[in-house]
Amino acid sequence: MSHPDIHSYLAAFDDIPGTRVYTVARARQGYWINQFAMSLMKPENRARWKADEKAYLEGWNLDENQKAAILARDYNRLLDLGGNIYFLAKLFSTDGLSFLQAVSTMTGMSVEDYQAMMLAGGRSPNGVRSIKEGN
Amino acid sequence: MARITAGVATSHVPAIGAAIDLGKTKEPYWQPLFAGYDWSKAWIAGEKPDVVILVYNDHASAFDMKIIPTFAIGCAESFKPADEGWGPRPVPTVEGHPDLAWHIAQSCILDEFDMTIINEMEVDHGLTVPLSLLFGQPEAWPVKVIPLAVNVVTYPPPSGNRCWLLGEAIRRAVESFPGDLKVQVWGTGGMSHQLQGPRAGLINAEWDNRFLDMMSQDSQRLRSIPHIEYLRETGSEGIEMVMWLIMRGALGADVRQLHRHYHVPASNTAVGHLVLEPVA
Repeated sequence: MSHPDIHSYLAAFDDIPGTRVYTVARARQGYWINQFAMSLMKPENRARWKADEKAYLEGWNLDENQKAAILARDYNRLLDLGGNIYFLAKLFSTDGLSFLQAVSTMTGMSVEDYQAMMLAGGRSPNGVRSIKEGN
Repeated sequence: MARITAGVATSHVPAIGAAIDLGKTKEPYWQPLFAGYDWSKAWIAGEKPDVVILVYNDHASAFDMKIIPTFAIGCAESFKPADEGWGPRPVPTVEGHPDLAWHIAQSCILDEFDMTIINEMEVDHGLTVPLSLLFGQPEAWPVKVIPLAVNVVTYPPPSGNRCWLLGEAIRRAVESFPGDLKVQVWGTGGMSHQLQGPRAGLINAEWDNRFLDMMSQDSQRLRSIPHIEYLRETGSEGIEMVMWLIMRGALGADVRQLHRHYHVPASNTAVGHLVLEPVA
């Protein structure tokens, strides 16, 4: 097998529109966002979080941007700040949202329109494969 | 001698587990999806495998960011369902097969696959949803399960070719186990889905169906599909399909397709399902 160059391997991910691939750079930046989200797997932590979200966040090594994005449930922003969707799932599950409901908030569509798109076969890959190729 | 008698591929969407747990499988939204598993449920009830090596990915349940194993094999006596934020799924505890699991772990390491060995672990929807799809809602799972967790979350995941080669090593390991066991390998996850960003909801039925064709007809080509192709064509979480190649690699050069099912959507995801058997 060939030995791919790690730099071009990673650079290619930035050419996919509307997508944040969970690279090591994002994983390092978002380490504490993701570890915070993991903590919500424990019922006692979920109870403390629901009682006072701001106070709960004080226990984590998060900067103000990260805290604000968590409190606002701004998932696109959280992805930009290094969050990963499977970790963030603990946050939206705690809010009682399904993957479909939470995911729709990142698309600029209403949950009803998003659900209708999925029922009609989903989003076409045409036009969203590559920024450079425009296909 | 233990032997690999079949391979199963299936998506492992969490909403499928919720639909089963909440008794919604006959609802119009879900009925066509579950109908595609009726054949497989009858088939596996007749097959009665002793052990399933279940390839899946942990979704930030057993592994947080502290440890990111590329290939982790569960060697415990049992594995409890994880609490993913809703409370654990109401499904039986998963019984392991420590003798075979440790044998595979040792054999694979000697075969130059440096496995991470897990002695205590909870298992999330990635593992329990496929069991529910094939076995329904029994009091206890009718099979021992060896969890094989693959990192497909933090980049880079293993290449498709590496997954295939691990499948081949698992087959060698199983065939050198001194017990008369019927072993199946399941590859789970996929197919098209993207759960993040403005491109979320992407589904590529044409690509998915070509992939399903190639699992039995032109399998060698699957090994060289680069990660970027999965991402561009099938969405960011479509990368999970590399896990199917561990199963496919374990079945040997030629396989017969016994059953195939494809359905869109389950929540955000295209569901694909195959039952394959090795051709000697």
